[in-house]
Amino acid sequence: MLKKIFSFILCVSLILSLMLVTGCGDKSSAEVYFLNFKPESADVYQEIAQKYQEETGVSVKVVTAAANTYEQTLKSEIAKRGAPTIFQVNGPIGYQSWKKYCLNIENSDFAKLLSDDTLAIRDESGNGIYAVPYVVEGYGIIYNDAIMKKYFALSDKKVNIDSAEQITNFATLKAVVEDMTAKKDQLGIKGVFASTSLSSGEDWRWQTHLLNVPLYYEFASSEDFSDPTLAGLNAKEIAFRYSKNYQNLFDLYINNSITEKGLLGSKSTSDSMAEFAQGQVAMVQNGNWAWSQIKDVKGNTVAESDIKFLPLYTGAEGEENQGLCIGTENYFAINKNVSEEQQQKSLDFLYWLFSSDTGKDYVTNKLGFVTPFSSFSEQELPSDPLAREVVRYMNDNTKNTVPWIFTSFPSDVFKTEVGGSLLEYVQGNREWKDVETTVKSMWKSERK
Amino acid sequence: MKLGNKRWFAVFVGPTFIAFCIAFLVPFIMGLYLSFCEFRTVSDAQFVGLKNYISAFSENSDFLNSLWFTIRFAIASVISVNAIAFLLALLLTRGIRGTNLFRTVFFMPNLIGGIVLGYIWQLIINGILYNYGYSITSRATFGYWGLVVLMSWQMIGYMMIIYIAGVQNIPTAILEAARVDGAGAIRTLFSITIPSVMPSITICLFLTITNSFKLFDQNLALTAGAPLKQTQMLALDIYNTFYGRIGYEGVGQAKAVVFFVLVALVAVLQLYFTRSREVEN
Amino acid sequence: MKKIKISNIFIFTFLLGLSVVFLIPIITVVSNSFKDRFSISQSPFVLPNSDTFVGVENYIKGIDDTGFISAFFWSLFITVTSVVIIVIFTAMTAWYITRVKTRLNNFLYYLFVFSMIVPFQMVMFTMSKIANTLRLDNPLGLIFIYLGFGAGLSVFIFSGFVKSIPISLEEAAIIDGCNVFSTFWLVVFPMLKPTAITVAILNTMWVWNDYLLPYLVIGSDYKTIPIAVQYLKGGYGSIDMGAMMAMLVLSIVPVVVFYLTCQKYIIKGVAAGAVKG
Repeated sequence: MLKKIFSFILCVSLILSLMLVTGCGDKSSAEVYFLNFKPESADVYQEIAQKYQEETGVSVKVVTAAANTYEQTLKSEIAKRGAPTIFQVNGPIGYQSWKKYCLNIENSDFAKLLSDDTLAIRDESGNGIYAVPYVVEGYGIIYNDAIMKKYFALSDKKVNIDSAEQITNFATLKAVVEDMTAKKDQLGIKGVFASTSLSSGEDWRWQTHLLNVPLYYEFASSEDFSDPTLAGLNAKEIAFRYSKNYQNLFDLYINNSITEKGLLGSKSTSDSMAEFAQGQVAMVQNGNWAWSQIKDVKGNTVAESDIKFLPLYTGAEGEENQGLCIGTENYFAINKNVSEEQQQKSLDFLYWLFSSDTGKDYVTNKLGFVTPFSSFSEQELPSDPLAREVVRYMNDNTKNTVPWIFTSFPSDVFKTEVGGSLLEYVQGNREWKDVETTVKSMWKSERK
Repeated sequence: MKLGNKRWFAVFVGPTFIAFCIAFLVPFIMGLYLSFCEFRTVSDAQFVGLKNYISAFSENSDFLNSLWFTIRFAIASVISVNAIAFLLALLLTRGIRGTNLFRTVFFMPNLIGGIVLGYIWQLIINGILYNYGYSITSRATFGYWGLVVLMSWQMIGYMMIIYIAGVQNIPTAILEAARVDGAGAIRTLFSITIPSVMPSITICLFLTITNSFKLFDQNLALTAGAPLKQTQMLALDIYNTFYGRIGYEGVGQAKAVVFFVLVALVAVLQLYFTRSREVEN
Repeated sequence: MKKIKISNIFIFTFLLGLSVVFLIPIITVVSNSFKDRFSISQSPFVLPNSDTFVGVENYIKGIDDTGFISAFFWSLFITVTSVVIIVIFTAMTAWYITRVKTRLNNFLYYLFVFSMIVPFQMVMFTMSKIANTLRLDNPLGLIFIYLGFGAGLSVFIFSGFVKSIPISLEEAAIIDGCNVFSTFWLVVFPMLKPTAITVAILNTMWVWNDYLLPYLVIGSDYKTIPIAVQYLKGGYGSIDMGAMMAMLVLSIVPVVVFYLTCQKYIIKGVAAGAVKG
């Protein structure tokens, strides 16, 4: 008995001290460690990692940060031994935060894949390439054309247009939506818009994507900068002149929603996408990345050919020619502080992913990315309806694309605070002018 | 005994002490020091004096708000947990049928982890509020009472067990004597039962107060601070300051030090006050 | 006599009602775990019916998504090993520093007691940093951390008990020629057994349910059950309420099984742990 105890204790002490000295329980040291930003693609990336290891023998570890925790996760991971080798920055602001960790990859094969290298992120003096965008995405109002056709076929409709494509400004959109709400039973829907999800971590469609539009108009009219993103980056303060336009569309969403206002704080993006997929609503604001969230829903009733995009009309002057919001906030960067070998392996992995046939197949068909790389031919585009719509808008010369100027928003804290104030507005605890104040004051205090 | 020699010290105390140093002592001291520094990782710390403490309080009102929220939460949950637990202890020491079964049921939630508890109650509370067109984030009060209910559900069983042990330790002779003297139920409760279980009250108050102050998992899972950080407790605020953004590590650490001092102070004061009321036995 | 009976019936009914209230949340979660994910959040108190019943689909999906099986085994491994190690080493430490009255030992005792009131947030950053530097950021290393972080409470409880056992037995054993080590294991530890059970139970409840410490130390490579549950929210692009319910049930089941089998010890342990305070 005693001997057993003694030897047990001895063993344990031995193991523990061994661990201390040599680090025997070292984590499976993957050669490439990719910290993924897109939770909706988590599974696909796992598959890709496995495939890559089979093909090349190089192990790739993929960790996916939970929605809205990327900065947190990256921050704790990057300080560790065995830090991520590939991580993501969300544009120039993200680069500013993480530039200590970004390797100059100007001369890598991966960076050379870019068809237009002005898209890449360079340092303050315009040298080097520190982060490379890997996907171009678009968002707007996704609508179910089957329901829209049903509405336009109604004899007692209050508008004098005949198809959703003819909606080219906010006034028309509003008229159509409000009339549809009045006739929702006839149309067999429970609301025009899907839930304006505002639970924590689920409010980015409004505090980032929707806010992009009014601030784009503000920055586009800047006298000092021709590029609205640059104007945004240099804005110490904002006037928020298009606040009313922001409110226009936001109010339209919440007043014609499937969900009562008080309940929006418990809704998630996937709830909204499910409502859309099941045909309970006609419209939902989201981007082409949401395709998998429509496709995979049980009880999906919406036909692929009926899924279309409308731009985010807010009642701004000249919006008749406005297109979708198209851009990127997804840039890959390579960690400067890992070994050179790991850096090279990471670059090789990315090059493989975006240039080999196997890699490209994953990118186009499973991830559904429209990429900014020259390695993809015209035919190698995702076949899902949303991505096709984005490409259609991009190629339509009569439409002016709204760039993603939200990459110039001062910080994640800014977005979170705006989201919080929207929730309070919806719940009736705050006025719209409080939202307005939050946007302005948070911009100022976070920009310093 | 020849216990005192160094060899035995190494064998008996060594392993625990090394682990204690690595997991607690060194991090604690480093934490104290780092609260006066600006740092991203530990190695790049630069001494900045009291700057972090000043920004913890002045930069925005998050810290003070969560402090106030935590205090209000602690008061409500300490009262509800202890009152109900004590009542249950009295009822379950009367030899009623099914006592064991009731005890089993009341204690069970205590073993469920904070994260899981948070999501269970989120479902329940949202389910109830749904009927009135609200959700738990609609008002800060919903989150507040949600947390109090959750905390009570979790802790009542635990405290009840401690009170039961206390009540059972009261010598029956004393109770008998009181009955003979004609003392009523209320009188017995205040003159005999409560003074006799004072040690249990001390420990229960200690446990509920410190646990209320340190609450994290339940807060994270139930509301995550929504709406607008209004239901964010101290521990969560510190976590968010630390990991939420770059450049605020020092402020987070300074908040943690204030938090520690506060918890220690409350715990010591409470122990001091209730201990002094315990009857010597 | 009759009067007492009536009041007892009243109390019994009250307790019965309260028990139901206590059980409703758990029952609700179990019932929802068999419902279709979209019919959960709006009507949690409606039992599954032919429209909404989906069988074990949520369980399969949840287990698949979260890697629940591996999380379960990591939780089990970490909890069991940590608890065994905590009990063994802190019992030894507590006995030694209580019996050998030097200034150093006295100081150590107060240091251990002091650590009990320090909130985890105070050390979370520096501790996870140190764990990472010393390569303790793996399940084995985590156990070592638990020994260090759990030492306070456990040493405190053991010490309280050691003080109450007579020293004469130990002295007799030493005189009989036992060395210190065998004295402890043959004479002292058997007497400490009830306390050891208390310590084991309190630590089991803590380690099994702990979220932030393992999340910060090993979270990116290994998931324990609480980490897996929290990750369900937002880790996969969307919250699947069905899978969430199923995972909640699966994390409750082992706890309930443990509780019902060791109930006697748990209740005693909790009461004893408090009295020592």
